[in-house]
Amino acid sequence: MEDAGAPAPILTAKAAGLVGCTQCGRVHRPGVARCTRCGARLQSRDVTSLQRVWAWLFAGLVVYIPANIYPMLLTTILGKTSESTIFGGVVELMHHGSYGVAAIVFGASIVIPISKFIAIAYLALSVQHQVAMSAHRRHQLYEAVEFIGRWSMIDVFVVAILSSLVQLDFAASINPGIAAVSFALSVAFTMISAQSFDSRLIWDVDGE
Amino acid sequence: MTEPRPAEMQIEGPKRSIWRNLSLTWLVPILALAVTLGIAWKSFSERGSRIEITFENAAGIVAGETSIRYRDVDIGVVEDVAFSSDLTSVLVKARVDNNVASSLPDDAQFWVVRPEVSASGITGLNTVLSGVYLEAAFEPQAGAEATRFTGLDSAPLVKPGMEGTRIVLRAANGSMLSAGAPILHQGVEVGRIETPRLLDSGKGVIADAFIEAPHDKRITTATRFWNTSGFNVNFGPGGLDLSVGSLSSLLRGGVAFDTVFSGGSPVGSRYVFDLFDDEGAARDSVFSETLDNAVDLVVEFDESVRGLEAGSSVTYRGLKVGSVTGIGAFIDDTSGRQQVKLRASIQIDPRSLGLDADAPQAETIRFLSEAVQGGLRARLASQGLFSSNLMIELAEIPDAAPAALGIFDTEAPVLPSVASDLPDVAATAEGLFKRVDNLPVEELMEQAVATLRAIESFASDENLRSVPGAVTGLLDDARGVIGSDEVQALPGELNATVLELRGIIEDLRTADLVGKLAETLESATAAADTVTGVADDLSGATSDVPALVEDFRQLVEKANSLDLEGFVSEASALLDSADRLIDSDDARALPGSIGDALDEIRAVLAELREGGVVENANATLASASDAAAAIEEAAQSLPSLSARIESLVSEAEVAVRGYGENSSFNRETVAALREVREAAEALTKLARQIERNPNSLLFGR
Repeated sequence: MEDAGAPAPILTAKAAGLVGCTQCGRVHRPGVARCTRCGARLQSRDVTSLQRVWAWLFAGLVVYIPANIYPMLLTTILGKTSESTIFGGVVELMHHGSYGVAAIVFGASIVIPISKFIAIAYLALSVQHQVAMSAHRRHQLYEAVEFIGRWSMIDVFVVAILSSLVQLDFAASINPGIAAVSFALSVAFTMISAQSFDSRLIWDVDGE
Repeated sequence: MTEPRPAEMQIEGPKRSIWRNLSLTWLVPILALAVTLGIAWKSFSERGSRIEITFENAAGIVAGETSIRYRDVDIGVVEDVAFSSDLTSVLVKARVDNNVASSLPDDAQFWVVRPEVSASGITGLNTVLSGVYLEAAFEPQAGAEATRFTGLDSAPLVKPGMEGTRIVLRAANGSMLSAGAPILHQGVEVGRIETPRLLDSGKGVIADAFIEAPHDKRITTATRFWNTSGFNVNFGPGGLDLSVGSLSSLLRGGVAFDTVFSGGSPVGSRYVFDLFDDEGAARDSVFSETLDNAVDLVVEFDESVRGLEAGSSVTYRGLKVGSVTGIGAFIDDTSGRQQVKLRASIQIDPRSLGLDADAPQAETIRFLSEAVQGGLRARLASQGLFSSNLMIELAEIPDAAPAALGIFDTEAPVLPSVASDLPDVAATAEGLFKRVDNLPVEELMEQAVATLRAIESFASDENLRSVPGAVTGLLDDARGVIGSDEVQALPGELNATVLELRGIIEDLRTADLVGKLAETLESATAAADTVTGVADDLSGATSDVPALVEDFRQLVEKANSLDLEGFVSEASALLDSADRLIDSDDARALPGSIGDALDEIRAVLAELREGGVVENANATLASASDAAAAIEEAAQSLPSLSARIESLVSEAEVAVRGYGENSSFNRETVAALREVREAAEALTKLARQIERNPNSLLFGR
């Protein structure tokens, strides 16, 4: 509701001396602890938000490293086990000529997570430092990051389905590697990181 | 309301700004970092140690995939396959688990396991699907961390850590040794042979062999190895003996061993054994070796020792106890005049006499000298019936001239000898040959040739060839007789006569004329007499037939006794007489006279019919009965006649059969014989009918 206001001068709840509920949007007087409509905890600005953003982001980054180093899939065909990492899988798909699939995997597993890291870090930094991007654009960026984050799970999804379906004992079997867990954790951490971000902070910086 | 709060926050803020405001969320990245570092450390520490194995070639080894196994458990994986700097070999770089690498000794063996099909079976079949792998074999040594190894071309015979004894087999040639061939002990595989290699001198082949642990205790200095590959055919007094080892050893060869005498001492590693061609040679080999305490003896002979040589056996009651080591001559002048004597040096193995293997020589000599006093003597003996090879036999001769073991200081003891009975054997054999020689083999052959020639000339004789023709003529004649109308009409006429008789008796029964019956009966009696005479004639005629048959039989007997020329002439005579018989008037008149008799009977009956006499009817009937009896008698001789004809025919048939099956003569003969037989059968039938019911001839019933 707050950003539904007029494009030119934004009047934030804080500037109006009120506290807006982040869940249902109702505005309260500053003394109210809980939203009278939905019962959510009211807070003018989440002071630990940035800390949590950075913490989850770091956690995501940390687990993203083994997700790329360790094998994602352990494919055993007739007693021969082959391991493939994310990037190795992309390269292999390209060798086989499946450029489309390679592009999807590359996008979902490498481009999106990395750009998410960059985007979240940029937004978090923009709260504390002056940046060139306007508040409105940054809001759009935030919405995009929050929306697209879950799609990175497509890789994990494929691995989970493959490893549960392809279990033909000696003939062929596919098992998830360490990277699958790391990658899933990394996606989850970055999603939490994005959600921890209190987007109202963008306006405060803008107002200064 | 908003004013006092920032003031409060400002008081508390600086104190706890770092720690109180620090979010607990920071634990998450710390935890994630810790876990990640933990994983990284774990995988780094488990990465294993790097080793290098040098191979001649790297067939089937794939970097990153080929695993290294120890006791069939993966212990590592090949990381890289590269050449050595001078390109002469392949360096396989691999990582093996740390716990394994820490106890990997220098002599660890690595080889590539590939699918392999050989005579002993198929191995490495699992590698067909999964690809080759490297097998490691070593005896773990804690603390030994060798990293450079040389790979083997094939799986080693003996893997490190196997318990057993390694020995060396020496053979004259390598054809009976092949790598991997089994070593058998009483049929059980207890070891293997490694690849044979030539001796440096080129005079033989040696091969390392390994006997596995519990069985290597059986390997002593008393053990002998022999070749069991292939099969062994032995033809001896016990018959044909074919022995085949296991199929595997048939294909790959094999070696068997056994302990051939007691008292061997354990052997160490790489003890060299000789490989013998067969078990017999291996067991005999006990005597070929020189023993420290073997007893040297000397035996002197007066007779020829041709056939005795160094190495010939010395036997005692058939058991080999030693061998001849040398033969020489010396001049003996102890008897006053110089005399050349032959001297054989022999060596006796104390073990074979039942003494201890390490019995001192003195003990053996003492034992022998006692035996010599008991009558033990040496003599020459033949090794076999047809063998000219000799051996020395130690025999106990109870009545031998007393002698003692001659013990001298300088020379070996002299064992007294006796003359052998060898020449007798030779003489006997020679006599046998002489007698065989003296057999009149050539005369025998000549006589046989002459006999054969006589038989040949007889067979080609003209007379013999004309025999079939004569027989044909005879048979034609016989057929003519039997086929003549008169003979064939005989039964019909008899029938007619009987009919007439019946009519007469019918008349007799009805008519009361008895007036002239007496005369009529008189003439009937006469007629009956005639009939009897005819019947006698018939008998007389047939009595010739047995004589003919008798002649024929004699002829056949003579033919059997191979008096062939006589047979021919007699056969001709027989045929002539048969011809004559058939041509004879008697035979021809036979039917005629029977017909006459019947005619006469008919006339008598006609007279009877006319006469009408009844006074002497009884007498008449009696004579008629007599007549009937006479007819019956005559008729009874018919079967014997037919039987005789039958036997004649069958004998003739037998005779004829000798002249081939398919000639026209034969066919004609057989046809004629068949007709004769049919005629004879007709006669028999008639005779039988008359015999069965003679009255029917008279009364028609």
